[in-house]
Amino acid sequence: MNSSILSIKNISKSFAKIDEDSITHAISNINIDLKENEFVSIVGPSGCGKSTILRLIAGLIFPTMGEIFFENKKIQGPNRDIGMVFQKPTLFPWLTVKKNISFGLDINNEYEENKINEMIKMIGLNDFANDYPGQLSGGMAQRVAIARAIINNPKVLLLDEPLGALDYFTRMNMQDEILEIWKEKKQLIIMVTHDIEEAIYMSTKVYVMEKNPGRIKEEVKIDLPYDRDRTSLEFVEYKNRILNLVKF
Amino acid sequence: MDNKFTKSELKKLEKKSKSKKEMFFDLLISFLPLLSYAISILEYLFIKDKYENDYKYRYVIFLTVIIVLYLFFLIKNLYIYLTCGDDEKYIKTKNKSLWLFVIFLFLTLFDYLTLKTGILMYPFIPWVNDIINISIEDYKNLTISTLYSLRLLLIGYIVGVVTGLVTGVLCGYSKRVRYWINPILKVLGPIPTATWIPLIMIISSSLFLGAVFIISLGVWFSVSVATMIGIMNVDKSYYDVAKTLGANDKDLIFKVAIHSAMPNILQGMTQGMSSACISLMVAEMLGVKAGLGWYITWSQSWASYNKMFAAIIIICLVFNVVSKILDSIKKYLLRWQNSGGDIE
Ligand SMILES: Nc1ncnc2c1ncn2[C@@H]1O[C@H](COP(=O)(O)OP(=O)(O)O)[C@@H](O)[C@H]1O
Ligand SMILES: [Mg+2]
Repeated sequence: MNSSILSIKNISKSFAKIDEDSITHAISNINIDLKENEFVSIVGPSGCGKSTILRLIAGLIFPTMGEIFFENKKIQGPNRDIGMVFQKPTLFPWLTVKKNISFGLDINNEYEENKINEMIKMIGLNDFANDYPGQLSGGMAQRVAIARAIINNPKVLLLDEPLGALDYFTRMNMQDEILEIWKEKKQLIIMVTHDIEEAIYMSTKVYVMEKNPGRIKEEVKIDLPYDRDRTSLEFVEYKNRILNLVKF
Repeated sequence: MDNKFTKSELKKLEKKSKSKKEMFFDLLISFLPLLSYAISILEYLFIKDKYENDYKYRYVIFLTVIIVLYLFFLIKNLYIYLTCGDDEKYIKTKNKSLWLFVIFLFLTLFDYLTLKTGILMYPFIPWVNDIINISIEDYKNLTISTLYSLRLLLIGYIVGVVTGLVTGVLCGYSKRVRYWINPILKVLGPIPTATWIPLIMIISSSLFLGAVFIISLGVWFSVSVATMIGIMNVDKSYYDVAKTLGANDKDLIFKVAIHSAMPNILQGMTQGMSSACISLMVAEMLGVKAGLGWYITWSQSWASYNKMFAAIIIICLVFNVVSKILDSIKKYLLRWQNSGGDIE
């Protein structure tokens, strides 16, 4: 029996290069087992295959070797139970904020006015509900993108550097907002970030990756109670430990 | 936010106010058309006609209706400006004044060169009152011809747009369909559809259906190509987002691809409309025995040049109205595009 909700078994992914006749080995031999209600972060140098792992789990691309199981079933393609927020908000510019958020419900005929309004209120964009995304700031747009993913109530939420483009203060706010959502819905969250402090502040487990080919170097469990204090001694110790792992 | 204000109040706050002198000058300009109106009336009534001119006062009424309409809107919007301070509409009306001024002067000159002196050859070029008279006299035929033309145009256009959308979407979305359709578009594309008219007129059982086919062919072509390009260029990350939200292939086409390609599609539809208007005229002049194009060739063959002019003017009006309508549809469907913060 397998008690984990998501298990990644020995996957490798290679891409054919477009211009020359050669191959990029994006990731190789990744093994991860994850349970519900975990919040894991993936950190590592750029190009080590972090996004690739998320896209594989989302079912947007398929592994060259190995298999990924979600609730003991092999992943065959995108699935509403696995939501994803991309690095760019990628809102649909032809839909209003409200319609962007309800997109998942609309296409599955589950439109529910209350649920949508609640979500808009939660991200604090009441005044912008009927505006088009062109008018939003980066932080607002990313909040809409997160709302759009979690309104589907996914069991797994994949976040690909969701706060990467935001300024420091918006970032800290959004970190707390995401943690609130996680505490309430108790879904499995897998977040890619390049900010080690962010990873330690938010997650229960941090995977440190290295590249060429992309693989997991170490798994660091963060044994600190929420809400975490960034200036505490333990926090700084975790930070130093991971920084040492990333250096090479 | 505790101080909320409306859009017009915001504009008012941010605009620097005009000086008294500027406002007086604006007012002067906006009443300028009255002057040229008076000139054209005086010219028309007090210079002796060279030719016989029935129902002389129709032209006077025509000019007066134009100036009255203009003054009505001008005063209404001026009133709005003075009471609410929102000058948007007033300025819009005011900006038309110089054009109207020139148009009256042009009409005056035209009248002088035709009715008064015959310098522009009568009967080939009639004066305006003559065109007004013939339009009233022959209004039945003109109305019927206009309706026939509109019917042919709309049927052909709609058939073309619908088929164009279908092939365009399929071509943009599926490589296999593109393999078959793309070469056809490439070969037929550069040939003006009017080329086929004589052939179609011979082989089709009904001239009307033949004309519909010709008109829709051009529209189909423009819409297909524009839609295909639009769909092929859809940002792939939209698809990724939609898929993770549970979209199937149908949703990807109808909820994502078509919307994303909408600017291209509408541009193709505009292009299609101008090709449809050309095909319509050629078809009616060459074969179809109804419509404004037919009316033009028919009146020309009877040397009724005033009728010909009447029909040409109606065509100009109709095509302008049609493209205005298309424009506002476009504006409505693409309202999401101009949503940068600026309220202009
Ligand atoms: N669709 C693709 N086609 C070709 N190469 C790709 C593709 N996606 C990713 N790669 C390559 O795989 C490697 C890992 O990419 P990625 O997962 O985006 O890294 P990260 O997110 O960690 O920065 C990079 O070398 C990148 O060039
Ligand atoms: Mg990445």
